[in-house]
Amino acid sequence: MADRFGYSTRALLGGAVAAAVAFATMTGAVQAQEKQTIRGAAYVPTIWVDPDGCEHWVMDDGAEGYMTPNVNRQGIPVCRKGSLCGELQSDQFFSSGSSTINKNGRARLAKFFKEAGARAYIVTGHTDSRASDEYNMGLSFRRATAVAKIGAAAGANIVDVRGYGERMPIATNKTAKGRAENRRVEIMCMR
Amino acid sequence: MKLTKALIALSVATSLSACFSEESGGEITDKTMDHGYDSKHLSQLKAGIWVDPNGCDHWIIDDGNEGYLSQRLDRYGKPVCSGIAPPGTATGPYKEGTIFNDPA
Repeated sequence: MADRFGYSTRALLGGAVAAAVAFATMTGAVQAQEKQTIRGAAYVPTIWVDPDGCEHWVMDDGAEGYMTPNVNRQGIPVCRKGSLCGELQSDQFFSSGSSTINKNGRARLAKFFKEAGARAYIVTGHTDSRASDEYNMGLSFRRATAVAKIGAAAGANIVDVRGYGERMPIATNKTAKGRAENRRVEIMCMR
Repeated sequence: MKLTKALIALSVATSLSACFSEESGGEITDKTMDHGYDSKHLSQLKAGIWVDPNGCDHWIIDDGNEGYLSQRLDRYGKPVCSGIAPPGTATGPYKEGTIFNDPA
């Protein structure tokens, strides 16, 4: 056991040394790059907007065509309207900290899902930034699940349910109004 | 009659050479347009859906000579797996953006 411990420690140290060397090489490469000439061709794309309203880079190089989604550096797609079709203000459907939907809310949601007529739905829950991140991740998921269950009961094809907690705010968390806007459940309709 | 045929052949050759000018040594500098036969700005493309083996959607466009494929993502960047068709199938108007008679 002690031997294995010793071995893994050495392996770790070896890894650290290798990483340090790699970093030094990389720094060298960056310095060399400043004087280097890059050989390449200009490939300037245009934008194609998909039926959901999200952007893709597209190029036509004669006989070949190329396309890839336009996402920002966090991996979030650049969308003009997106496929958001329903946004519930959580305060109207849930009491504080609860994931039980009131009777009026249940009826409104069932009506929504029956009339929306989409092929598939994705439901995401969101909170404001009060309470811990862990608690908010749980609460937002429970609330999204509650909404999705009503959708499924109304015959909707729910393909994904997610909780994002406080991580995807749409307004400031510094004001009461902003926090209320952040407390929401979003429904995406996929046609 | 021969002259007409020759003219048609010439015009076809010219329009095709626009598509294949890369192969014939030319350089396409504006890559935001589909040049030559059935030319258009690329924002006009019509897409269908291709369902990958995992059951998730991709936009598919058959624009005559060019084929395009790009992932369908939701507003948070996750794959959209709508169940529109079985895995390994393409559906929708993906061949509608072109009048090019595609053999396959």
